[in-house]
Amino acid sequence: MAEPSRDAQQIPRGSKACRRLFGPVDSEQLRRDCDALMAGCVQEARERWNFDFVTETPLEGDFAWERVWGLGLPKLYLPPGPRDDLGGGKRPSPSPALLQGTGQEDHLDLSLSCTLMPHAPERPEGSPGAPGTSQGRKRRQTSMTDFYHSKRRLIFSKRKP
Amino acid sequence: MELLCCEVDPVRRAVPDANLLYDDRVLQNLLTIEERYLPQCSYFKCVQKDIQPYMRRMVATWMLEVCEEQKCEEEVFPLAMNYLDRFLAGVPTPKTHLQLLGAVCMFLASKLKETIPLTAEKLCIYTDNSIKPQELLEWELVVLGKLKWNLAAVTPHDFIEHILRKLPQPSEKLSLIRKHAQTFIALCATDFKFAMYPPSMIATGSVGAAICGLQQDEDVSSLTGDALVDLLAKITNTDVVGGRHLLG
Repeated sequence: MAEPSRDAQQIPRGSKACRRLFGPVDSEQLRRDCDALMAGCVQEARERWNFDFVTETPLEGDFAWERVWGLGLPKLYLPPGPRDDLGGGKRPSPSPALLQGTGQEDHLDLSLSCTLMPHAPERPEGSPGAPGTSQGRKRRQTSMTDFYHSKRRLIFSKRKP
Repeated sequence: MELLCCEVDPVRRAVPDANLLYDDRVLQNLLTIEERYLPQCSYFKCVQKDIQPYMRRMVATWMLEVCEEQKCEEEVFPLAMNYLDRFLAGVPTPKTHLQLLGAVCMFLASKLKETIPLTAEKLCIYTDNSIKPQELLEWELVVLGKLKWNLAAVTPHDFIEHILRKLPQPSEKLSLIRKHAQTFIALCATDFKFAMYPPSMIATGSVGAAICGLQQDEDVSSLTGDALVDLLAKITNTDVVGGRHLLG
């Protein structure tokens, strides 16, 4: 038996499942709606993380952002270079900040990275789950914000007005 | 004489994990979290202006045909319908986008559940090339964003084995019951009436309907009517009225 492959699962000739359900699709409208919805997602993320993901700029808010250096992640985890194999060119381009790493063979020294940490050791109450010291810095599953170092700011003035 | 069957299933599967299936905590946890993945509202009333219930049925039927023709894992179709319903519960969508949305949802569900997922190109062919792979990929991101990347939804299939192992059925009958229950689950997913039901209830009703249906063929009935419903209700804490609705 050859190696299993879905490609072997060809679409049968004249398959009646190949059909258009609701008439012609307006590519222009698809594009506009896609852009509008994506813009909404970006805006949501911007408010959630007080970070502008388009220009890679931290904004005012609950999170304090700072750069961290040299986590030595495998290249695999970096966005690909200016590769445009799908011909679209309208995808959100990888942020320039992510590409500043100095290229080596397999690993890049990232100029930006992220772990979620408490701002200061003098945290008032015990906060379970939060690594307390810098030794406790853990590598977590990467997410949108993982290339920055974010910390929740402690704002005492707001707590006791 | 021993017969050799050369038609080996090309898809490699892990053996059932006893730690997952024979521990009631797993079932309890599934019951606890399943509500999180239900669509937030009955969207034909409150969100959608253009899309009508019959259009959902059209796109669902098409998706089921594609999944069957491509021999997708059983969970792919109900999971894709879960994504579709959750998206439509939040985003007003014109009907011309509905087939693209269905294709995106199958694309995502297949990637989550299968070792060799459906390709974007193949899905586009199934739309009679009314959409392009590039559009599919762009909308994939949109859908992911709207679902908050929360793709590991609980489906009725997650409950099937937990229910089956508690039934006093001879093991040789189980595979047939399982198969019929899976068919009922797929049918429920095509019908919007069941979109807001918790997956455990769909699973309970589907297993019940499978057993009832099979019992009509033979006179061996270890469990009948009320006793069956009561037992099923106990397993998944399903309220009996809801379960009966499905069985009916």
